[in-house]
Amino acid sequence: MDSSLHEIWQTAPGSPFLPTVGKGSQFLVGFALLLLGLSLTGAFAFNRSLVTLPALGIPASLAIAFGTVYMFCAVGVYV
Amino acid sequence: MKFTAIAGACLSLLSSVAADANITAPSSSKVALPSTFKPPQVFKNANLVHVVSLEKNFAKESINVLIENVSPEPQDEYFLPFTSEQMEKVGGIEVKDRKSADVVGFTVEAVEFDPLSDTQYYRIRLPAPLSPKSQQTLGISFHYLRALSPLPAAIEQADKQYLLYAFSAYCPSAYPTLKQKTEVKLPSADIPDYTTIAGSGDVKEFPVKQGSKLIYGPFPEVPAGAVSAIKVRFESTKPVTHVSHLERDIEVSHWGGNVAFEERYTLFNHGANLSAQFNRVKWAQSQYFNPQTYALKEMKIPLRVGSKDAYFTDVIGNVSTSRFRSNKREAVLELKPRYPVFGGWKYPFTIGWNADTKFFLKKSASNYLLNVPLLEGPKQAEGVEYGQVQVRVLLPEGADNVKFYTTAPESSITGHSVDLERTYLDTVGRTVLTIKARNLVDDFRDRELIVSYDYSTMAGLRKPLIIFSSMISIFVGIWAISKVDL
Repeated sequence: MDSSLHEIWQTAPGSPFLPTVGKGSQFLVGFALLLLGLSLTGAFAFNRSLVTLPALGIPASLAIAFGTVYMFCAVGVYV
Repeated sequence: MKFTAIAGACLSLLSSVAADANITAPSSSKVALPSTFKPPQVFKNANLVHVVSLEKNFAKESINVLIENVSPEPQDEYFLPFTSEQMEKVGGIEVKDRKSADVVGFTVEAVEFDPLSDTQYYRIRLPAPLSPKSQQTLGISFHYLRALSPLPAAIEQADKQYLLYAFSAYCPSAYPTLKQKTEVKLPSADIPDYTTIAGSGDVKEFPVKQGSKLIYGPFPEVPAGAVSAIKVRFESTKPVTHVSHLERDIEVSHWGGNVAFEERYTLFNHGANLSAQFNRVKWAQSQYFNPQTYALKEMKIPLRVGSKDAYFTDVIGNVSTSRFRSNKREAVLELKPRYPVFGGWKYPFTIGWNADTKFFLKKSASNYLLNVPLLEGPKQAEGVEYGQVQVRVLLPEGADNVKFYTTAPESSITGHSVDLERTYLDTVGRTVLTIKARNLVDDFRDRELIVSYDYSTMAGLRKPLIIFSSMISIFVGIWAISKVDL
């Protein structure tokens, strides 16, 4: 055991950890990002070209990625 | 081409995670000595007061002793003897200087020397060696689990319960004791049986009874290792709650800003068994006129303010006879088991709740500090004892350089390890700190467990990056398939 941790905790500056998106807005953020991601995916489905692949695929993938994480948290599975 | 580049980037991310699993594991302590070991006679106990408190359903003993160094050399090792049977049951050994709270740094370690010897020892190392002829006042406290046995062992449903405790009127010591007395504190003045022994001085017979207290002594000089077997039988119509196994999980989520707690109990009542079939009608009637019972019918678990989403389940499912009171000042989980737990009965159950990270987690300069109670659980007037405790702290995926410290007695911590566990959206798995402890009691509720760990931004972004790479590969796949001209 590292007994210095007790002292470090006592003297650590009072900066409690807060998440980027608070618990109250996780569902909204998650839902909005997933909706955006799925909409962009739909747009890509209509026009599958080498230009739309990065133009729509990357933002859609990013939106789905962060949206999935926040939707997991919003439904109580705190990943 | 693009797909292989992304896959390569993902693989390099995973390999960097595997490589930086630089985890510091602290060690628990035991001291090994030769099999012929006997404590050197370098101390004498000038005055000793032994307090045996049986007010809860475990035996709590405290020894306040004035020790004197009788050797010509400075000494810093004081040995505390226990029988082999007691070694299995003893826990929570703590040592303080009774005269000065500023004196800290006593270490208590179990001595490993001859496993077949009936006398085993704990070694107390003083913070500073005691010079010859000097004295120091030690306050040693510990408790024994499974120490109280019901007598009679089987009683009627509405009867009073009597418990028996066996101990020594002379405080077991590895050193001669010049003057000592033993006080026994009991939960009630109804003490039908207790051993009497020859008195000394003006008192013809010990013990002296003062209400719910029995006093053996003061005794004149007693040699090292002397014992005088005593039994006390007293009324205690309360459940003898024993948790044989407690598994406590604390799951930290940085994305969700949540600390999730879950506790799985294997609970027994070690009180008297029922001498006849359980009578539900009699039980329902007794609730109106005689609430005092040795069955466990309710538990109150005070949680930290801000706790929410509490649940209480057992093997059947949700137990609806629970209430969670949460407001600005308190958060209390009130549980009623599915049936009253009488002596010899078992009730395994699970409870859990969530809390915000702001109450437990701090970001320090380079790392994160988590401060959670090592033990929560029921807060009962009659007390709760825990045989085996396993606390698992599930840190975020990618956390490393894990260190911990607990204010609970170090002698109760039996082991610890740092492993990985995969759950939802995990790729390499979450870092899990497992701490094993034994023989704890509810007096150690709210003792702190402080965990420090490093957690990089890159490790934090692993989950969305993995989903991102999966999604982009699907997009590339769709595009590639659309280009195939059949």
